[in-house]
Amino acid sequence: MKRDPIYGIMAEFDSAQALVDAAHTTHQAGYQKIDAYSPFPIEGLAEEIGFHFDEIPLTVLIGGIVGGLTGYLMQYWMSAVDYPLNIGGKPYHSWPAFIIITFEMTILFAGISAVLGMLAFNGLPMPYHPVFNVPRFSSASKDRFFLIVFSSDKKYDPAGTRKFLEALSPRSVSEVPS
Amino acid sequence: MSTAPAKQFDPMPPPVVKTIAQRSLIVGAVFGIVAVILAIKSPDEFFRAYLLGFMAWLGVALGSMAILMIRHLTGGGWGVVIRRILGAAMRTVPLLAVLFIPMIVAVLQHRIYIWAKPLDQITDKHLREHLEDITKTYLTTSGFIWRAIFYFAIWNLLSFLLSHWSKQTDRAGARDNTDRFKAVSGPGLILYGFTISFAAVDWVMSLDPSWISTIFGLVVLIGEVLSAMCFAVIVERILYNYKPMSEMLTPDFVHDHGKWMLAFTMVWAYFNFSQWLIIWAGNLPSEITYYMRRLNGGWGYIGLFVVIFHFAVPFGILLSRPFKRDIRKLVWLASWMLLMRYVDLFWIIEPNFSKTLNITLADVVVPIAIGGFWLAYFFRNLGALPLLPVYDPSAIEVLHPAHHHPENA
Repeated sequence: MKRDPIYGIMAEFDSAQALVDAAHTTHQAGYQKIDAYSPFPIEGLAEEIGFHFDEIPLTVLIGGIVGGLTGYLMQYWMSAVDYPLNIGGKPYHSWPAFIIITFEMTILFAGISAVLGMLAFNGLPMPYHPVFNVPRFSSASKDRFFLIVFSSDKKYDPAGTRKFLEALSPRSVSEVPS
Repeated sequence: MSTAPAKQFDPMPPPVVKTIAQRSLIVGAVFGIVAVILAIKSPDEFFRAYLLGFMAWLGVALGSMAILMIRHLTGGGWGVVIRRILGAAMRTVPLLAVLFIPMIVAVLQHRIYIWAKPLDQITDKHLREHLEDITKTYLTTSGFIWRAIFYFAIWNLLSFLLSHWSKQTDRAGARDNTDRFKAVSGPGLILYGFTISFAAVDWVMSLDPSWISTIFGLVVLIGEVLSAMCFAVIVERILYNYKPMSEMLTPDFVHDHGKWMLAFTMVWAYFNFSQWLIIWAGNLPSEITYYMRRLNGGWGYIGLFVVIFHFAVPFGILLSRPFKRDIRKLVWLASWMLLMRYVDLFWIIEPNFSKTLNITLADVVVPIAIGGFWLAYFFRNLGALPLLPVYDPSAIEVLHPAHHHPENA
């Protein structure tokens, strides 16, 4: 597979507010494939870069349903099929007694789905990421805020996008080699 | 510390609040007249319905007080935006103390509470033996009255302190009362937990004096906070048509209110299921009677209805993030939940009096009558103070939402 030699163009900002505003303008301008990096979580930033929340909730929901069914059927099989045991004269298939384990299995599977789903959709673990090719990017974990437009974006063109980002009054603009 | 309010921001409630108060009063008066006629015609049915209506509206008031105290302890813009709505509901506690008087009349007239009757009128031998002990110690007429005075004294004191200090912050340069609110809210929540548990035992559980459930107080408590959050959502939706609520209420705050509704719905199910599981597993004659009554004779349909429409369906809907963020959608579920609170209380209270499913005209009329007066008083309270305590330090969370000042995050 041949990769684009340029991963994207990255702009560096001084403050979180500048990053949120820049992300807003960039997204409004029609750029779809953008991302933002900051030293701490910024409320509202995910919405500004057009991030969608669909995958993880669906994964967790499916995980939860699978967990609940597993929990219930496991108990049904154990208590009513594999090893029927008379407890307090109650029927072998006593659903009220199964609910707690069913609930716990729902939570367990949903929780595991959330963690694994998060890792999978983020593409983690990721030993190599092109943004680190820009030396200044190391301050993204200190006190700088970065916005990147990926070269895979439909609207991307090397000169035009650079010009657009420069108009947002960033501290610096750098091309990111992939 | 005082914060200058944003330019041209008028925190006073819209005039529509007074109109709603007047209309509620008319509804209360009309239904009140019918209720009085019913009280004369069939006093027993009236008092059952009165207890149902009283518990339903008491729940909104006390639940609001509890949520307000939670907000004082945890902070958060979600609570500031509805703070004055919760406060207005909390300040109806004096009215509820007056509305409690008919319950004392019921006990004095030996109505609805079987333990209030003279022992020789009780035909069931086991029940009489049981009551011989408990009517000498705990379930006495004077004990019932004194304890009620004690509960209302505590609730009124908490309500007075919290609203008095809140009013103080309504002028520029007022002192910061945050520490006072915290100092009262911590012990206040504990006091609320104890008083409502005892009140639930006195007023509802004692309808069936041979039945015990140690989680019953919490079942009532969680119903109250759920009612209160749903009520706050409905009121904020009405006010959202007008300034200043239209400027204050953001999807983020509505989202938080929806999350609270989800949490309270889940805890409600958790407490009720715990009670059911323990009683079902124990299968003891003194405990299982509660569910035998409520699952047979047609009452079981109401029980199933409550499980599905007070828990399963609302739970499923509340999982949706876009739904919780849209006040225009969330208000419908909040209204539905408030109705379901009534159905749940109906299912808890009414099977004590009839073995087969039975709903009387009074069961509908009397709760509406109480509600009319209660809402009139609530909207009067709501109109009396600004909708946002603008000079309180917490107001900044509404006037300048977080993402405009991310460096403070």
